[in-house]
Amino acid sequence: MSARKRTLLKVIILGDSGVGKTSLMNQYVNKKFTAQYKATIGADFLTKEVQVEDRLVTMQIWDTAGQERFQSLGVAFYRGADCCVLVYDVNVMKSFDNLENWRAEFLIQASPQDPENFPFVVLGNKVDVDGGNSRVVSEKKAKQWCTAHGNIPYFETSAKEDYNVDAAFQCIAKNALKNETEEEIYLPDTIDVTQNRPTKSSACEC
Amino acid sequence: MASPGDEGSRPNGPNGSLGSFSERNKREHSNPEIISALYEELFGEEDCERPCYLPDHREEDSRDAEQDGTVAREDKEKGGGDGEVEGESKKVKGTSAELAGSQMSNELDAGDFQEDLGARSETGHDDGIQDRDQEISLRNGASAEASFTERSVAVDGEFSSDRGLDALPSPTSSQGGTSGYMAGSGSSSASTSSISGIEAANEQDTEGTGSRKEERGARVPGKRHTEEDDSHPSWRRHKKHFFILSNAGKPIYSRYGDEHKLAGFSATLQAIMSFVENSGDTVHLVRAGDHQIVFLVRGPLYLVCISSTDEPSEVLRGQLELLHGQLILILTKAVEKCFLKNSKFDMRPLLGGMDVVLSSLIHAFSWEPATFLKAYTCLPLPYGARQAACGALQDMTDSGALFSVLMCGNKVISLVGSRKTSLHPHDLLLLSNFISSSDSFRTSESFSPVCLPRYNSAAFMYAYVQYLNKDTCLILLTADPNDFFHLKECRAQIEIVLRESNVLREVNNSIERGGLRIEDMPGSEVGPSESGSTRGDRASDDGASTSAPEAVPGAGGPAGLWHFIYRSTYLDQFIASEFSPPFTTRSAQKRLYRAYQKLHASMHNAGGGGPHKMQYRRDEDHVLLSWRTSDFELYAAFDPLAEKNSAIFVCNRICQWIRDMEAEVFLLGATPFNW
Repeated sequence: MSARKRTLLKVIILGDSGVGKTSLMNQYVNKKFTAQYKATIGADFLTKEVQVEDRLVTMQIWDTAGQERFQSLGVAFYRGADCCVLVYDVNVMKSFDNLENWRAEFLIQASPQDPENFPFVVLGNKVDVDGGNSRVVSEKKAKQWCTAHGNIPYFETSAKEDYNVDAAFQCIAKNALKNETEEEIYLPDTIDVTQNRPTKSSACEC
Repeated sequence: MASPGDEGSRPNGPNGSLGSFSERNKREHSNPEIISALYEELFGEEDCERPCYLPDHREEDSRDAEQDGTVAREDKEKGGGDGEVEGESKKVKGTSAELAGSQMSNELDAGDFQEDLGARSETGHDDGIQDRDQEISLRNGASAEASFTERSVAVDGEFSSDRGLDALPSPTSSQGGTSGYMAGSGSSSASTSSISGIEAANEQDTEGTGSRKEERGARVPGKRHTEEDDSHPSWRRHKKHFFILSNAGKPIYSRYGDEHKLAGFSATLQAIMSFVENSGDTVHLVRAGDHQIVFLVRGPLYLVCISSTDEPSEVLRGQLELLHGQLILILTKAVEKCFLKNSKFDMRPLLGGMDVVLSSLIHAFSWEPATFLKAYTCLPLPYGARQAACGALQDMTDSGALFSVLMCGNKVISLVGSRKTSLHPHDLLLLSNFISSSDSFRTSESFSPVCLPRYNSAAFMYAYVQYLNKDTCLILLTADPNDFFHLKECRAQIEIVLRESNVLREVNNSIERGGLRIEDMPGSEVGPSESGSTRGDRASDDGASTSAPEAVPGAGGPAGLWHFIYRSTYLDQFIASEFSPPFTTRSAQKRLYRAYQKLHASMHNAGGGGPHKMQYRRDEDHVLLSWRTSDFELYAAFDPLAEKNSAIFVCNRICQWIRDMEAEVFLLGATPFNW
């Protein structure tokens, strides 16, 4: 095994259905875009290796379905996430309003160690649509929301035109790494022969 | 159990090894003849008769037996599966509400899961996505075929209502399934044979050639094909995958390929497992065509085996248990606390360099009867020599060591435990694998923390390890991390005693002599002449030639005896005869072990009429006879034309023979395992 430590980051993408989660991921990983909408069922998984400041990082991207009926995927799905990406469509107000719910839901389900500082990134997607004329959520408004929720980094993106996608994901990886808790100290016990084999090891055997 | 002509019901279930035998024969031979029966109780009345067929000469004889996954079978399974799936259909097609219910089956017979993967791979090919960022999708890609996800992960009444049972793969989709996953890319029967050929070659490559050479001496680090990931056809073609991942879906170990590149695949596995977990249940087994996907949850660790080797699922489960045990041996259960504190925890760094240990254990699953017999084997030694060795170890154990073990390769010379404690055969197996697979132990004396999972999975003890010669290894286990110098002295004293009492010379003699040979079995009055005539009679009756291509007529012991394994129940030890013709090739030997495994599983697990006391089973490769009493278990392989009565007679002889040699082939007086 190589001495160089490789890091694996579990990144979860959340947001309303149709905001472009899968497209963003496809653009980022495969450099592909299709205008045809195809609902994600359950979840998609992609991996991408990136270099972040000398570190080789594998991003394990969990692209979830936005439809409410998939919310039952729940706890086990979100468990152990390193970063959560919240996506909305700048042309749909509801998708922006729902960010609040997505964030709260994630924090409940994933119950990270330090919810205050858990790394989120917000992406306002589809800025290309209609030359920006159909836009209903202003950048200012989005940034305000991000600031209010613990200075979440904010990116305006277009999966279609590959605008800001790489930058956004680079930031995602970076933030996830920054938040990386110090290596859990792994302290195994040594066997105690004075007490007999704890075949039935209960908590209080003192 | 299916009657022979009943096309509509497929013998199924973990216990169905007999069923699968007949099934396999059935589809390959148009005019089967019942020539085998199963016997209950001691050679007694025929309790029930089960179909088993003597095949014509098999076309695929040149292939490994496990290469049987042909499209023919695929179709058979799909076609014949209806009756069986019906029972399961509620659960398979179920909406999430159904899944959430307690009726959730632990066994999803989901050909459609494979179908999904198949569809995905087709998508991949279409798009030409062959780069490392291959998409892994829990849903089926572009096509609208029914998939595992749609039915189980997705909460979609539409799909579940009209795509439930009816959506069982049609011939076309089943072929798609075959084409997809590791079954190789044979999407039509026309290409199947060539694919099988590749698989056979591949299998040879991965497990066959050179393995034995590697076993002794410098073993090349176990993990191979590290450059692969799930987008590689070669990766998909491996017959037996093992994965370990965290319950967050982070990869920890994969038998083949690079764990990081398999992160997406790992996530898929976790998604499937956690979806079932969400409903308060656990997924145990998914069947997908020729593949079985066996899941094992151990705390925060998920272990998965994906296999097309036709091994019973409980055998695979046992292998996953051992794999988990090996992790515990390396890290103790304390590692679980890390996940409790931090679900993001990445365990891989803690396992640095241990890939070789896990790979070596997986390798042993195919070659080492100890992995399924729950017993260890001893190096045959004169009684006096073993007594001397035990005496030397006993003295040291009295002065502080928890266990002292003297081993030669994977065979025990002597084993002593202090304070009436005993070493579980699995602990011994895992310890022995840990030591023999790590080259560093060979080169110098070592002191290493190890955990014996069955003894105490929560804490480390320390192993002093020193090879006394090329094969002979002394292991002293202590609870005291500062005991190195004390144990070093112990070792010196033990070594002196062993040399003075000529134990080491006897060990070398034993290695030179080799193990038990069936040819040496005394009193062969049933012997070659009779078995020869038997063979002739049968051959003329059946008009069938002998099965195995490498069969040497007249080889073996009396009555066509080829091989046996005898396991002493009380001692938890076994003795296996040396391989002799026709088991001259690695593939023939592996086939035999797999057959034993299957037999063992059917002897021990309920269902399919089991557990059994005695079975006599004939297939295209051999006659297998197994016999279980309160004192011992015997597994014997005979010439496929061996006659039942003489085979039974020979089995009695074997038992007598072993009993006569008990003092030499077993370690007597060892503290029996009390759990």
